[in-house]
Parts: sequence; C-alpha cells; structure tokens
Amino acid sequence: MKLCVLYSGGKDSTLALLKAKEFHDVVCLVTLASSNKESFMFHTPNIDLTSLQAEAMNLPLIRVETMGEKEKELADLKKALELAKQKHKIEGVVTGAILSTYQASRVQQVCHDLRLWCFNPLWLMNQETLLIQIVKSKILAIISGVFAEPLDETFLGQRLDTRLAKKLVAIGKSHKINPAGEGGEIETTVLDAPCFKKKIAVKKSKINYANHSGIFSIIDAELVEK
Amino acid sequence: MILIISTCKEPLSELEFIEPLKALVPKSKLVHCAQLQVKDIALAEKIIISGTALADFEYLDADWSWIAKCNKPILGICAGAQVIAQAFGCDLADEVNIGVKQITVVKQDRLAGADFPAYFLHTKGIRGNFVTLAQSGETPALIKHPSREIYGCIFHPEVMNEEIIRKFVQN
Repeated sequence: MKLCVLYSGGKDSTLALLKAKEFHDVVCLVTLASSNKESFMFHTPNIDLTSLQAEAMNLPLIRVETMGEKEKELADLKKALELAKQKHKIEGVVTGAILSTYQASRVQQVCHDLRLWCFNPLWLMNQETLLIQIVKSKILAIISGVFAEPLDETFLGQRLDTRLAKKLVAIGKSHKINPAGEGGEIETTVLDAPCFKKKIAVKKSKINYANHSGIFSIIDAELVEK
Repeated sequence: MILIISTCKEPLSELEFIEPLKALVPKSKLVHCAQLQVKDIALAEKIIISGTALADFEYLDADWSWIAKCNKPILGICAGAQVIAQAFGCDLADEVNIGVKQITVVKQDRLAGADFPAYFLHTKGIRGNFVTLAQSGETPALIKHPSREIYGCIFHPEVMNEEIIRKFVQN
C-alpha cells in the first residue's frame, strides 16, 4: 500500500514512519504548518525543518500552511491529503497519534471522507515503552520544546538518549507528567534516523525560555554525510 | 487462556487495535480470524474479537459460524461486535460514528454500571434482537445475548473504558 506520513519532524511521527515502512511503501510526507501557537493539531517547534528532513529521507513533502483555527485546519488537512492522493496515489495515511482522541478522530474523519486508510501505529502505547523504542530505533531526537515544570532550559537541545529517557520517566512519575510529552510537556526535533540517507547538522540555533516554557529554535541547518 | 482474535487485514493495523488489547490481557493468545482453528476455541476460557481500521471490511468474509455454537464467553469489539451480531442473525446498518460520545446505560450489567463517555470508530452499527445494555443516543453501543455471556461493544473500550475489558476477563 502507498502511504503518506503526517509528519511534524518530531520523534513520534518519525517512529510511526519507521513502523509503517516495515509493511508498506511510504511515498510522501505531509506537513501542516500552523501559525496558531494554541493549535491542538499541528503546532510544533521547528516545523520548517520538515523540508530538510524530507530531503534527508529522499521523500517528497507536501506542505500546507494553516491558520490553525479549529475547523479551518481540518479543511487544510483535507486539502493536503487530497493533494497527496492526486500527486502520489496514496491509499492511506500514517500518524504518530498516541493518546489524543481529539487528534485521532479528526484525522480518521478526514481519511474516511477521502476513502483513505488511516494507521496509528503508536496508538495507546505506554509512554515509557515509547521512549525506549525511540532510543532503540536509533532515532536521533533533540528536545526542542519544554512546557511543564520541572523541565527547564537545560533540557533544550539535549539528545534523547537512554540517560535522558530514564530522567524523563523519573520526572514523569514524580511530577505526574507524560514522560514522552503526549500532554504537550515536551516537543522534539529529529536530526537523524535509519530512514535518513543524510543527517542534519544544526549550524545555528537559539533558545527562548521563561517560566518552564521554552523553545530550541533551529535557525540554520544542513545535510551532512552519515 | 484468553483468546484474542484479530480482525485486522493489515499487520500495521494490529499495532493500533491488537497491541492495546494484549497489554490489557497479558496471558492471552493471538490468532488472526483467517487462521482460526477449532482447537484455538476449545483451549480458550474466554474470547475477545478485536476491532480494525475504518477502511477494513475483509473480516466480514471470514468464517464466523462457530460463534453461534460456541459456549465460551465472548466479547466482540467494534468489528468483533458486528460479526457476533451477524452470527445471531442481526443486521448491520450504515452508521458513521467517529469520536468520543456519551453512553447511557439502560440495563445494569457487570460490565457497565453507570453512564460513561466512549471512543467510537465504525461505519456499521448493529440492529437486532440482542439485549441493549448501553446506547449512544438511540443506537445500541453495548449489547448482550439474551441468555449467554456474549457481548458486543460497538465502541472501543480499550481507548477510554479499559475496565469493561478487565471485568470481562475477570471470573
């Protein structure tokens, strides 16, 4: 089956992509770039990096801008998937949804309307298991956003490895937050993965942080040999 | 042993519809509906029939005639509920239901005692002579055979109502 991946450039959509590739042909990526910081569906730090990530994977990217307004962003998602269907003959869509019935049901509805299969290979996955799988899958992700106490600016830009995964699990237990960030506590940006032909080198970055809320913005980056 | 029967055509869908069931029922055996054998049913204490992707209808072509003759407790989830209903002569009606909806309990049962929200993901609802235990609006959501411990759950209890699966598995 030819599939597209709804790709944010973070750890979850990258792991979902790797799982989809075990069974099907991933033929393109779809990114919705939301200008609304409050968007439940599509707001992610470094969303502009998905073009470089797509290039690293040698996959075409369909990027659609959205204002991130509740119903409008659903129409924008539909437009993007219609385009993927026309251009790349996709038969289904893969998402990195884990727990959000809000996100999952909206994508399911659009896929149903467009007669596309919808796959959510991380659905209901235990957060600790998810972090372990990301590390074991050799996905090189860095923390690009923190939005909950006690996560502070020292986490920003850190590589998600076994040590950090254990630390996040411990914080998750002590502060009752989702260690993998499903509740919006953290965001990640992927710089390398087994499906990347080249990896991303960050040339220039900037940290904006205040009161347990911060972003690691990648200003300039390039592809380099692995 | 609890037997989980997969209705998923695509192995990728099993990550979404089977893995959560396996996590809830650790001592279980998984068999795909197309590979199901008489001995699998004979060895099972209870049986759970899974749901599958919205675009998947291949499970309707499998042989489900054993259900009507089976004397084991069965819980069918979404697609699983549809094949149970069909095995007992109920009809499937076109009914698109996607997302979280409120469920009203209309008949007390050990699986459901009070009203609750649940996650729906189906395009075919159930109509027929099963006992409706709970409904969403006017349509049946949780049904039971009039005299046997055979349940059909048209929503996905593994998403928001894990206790329904735990109660079914408990003796």
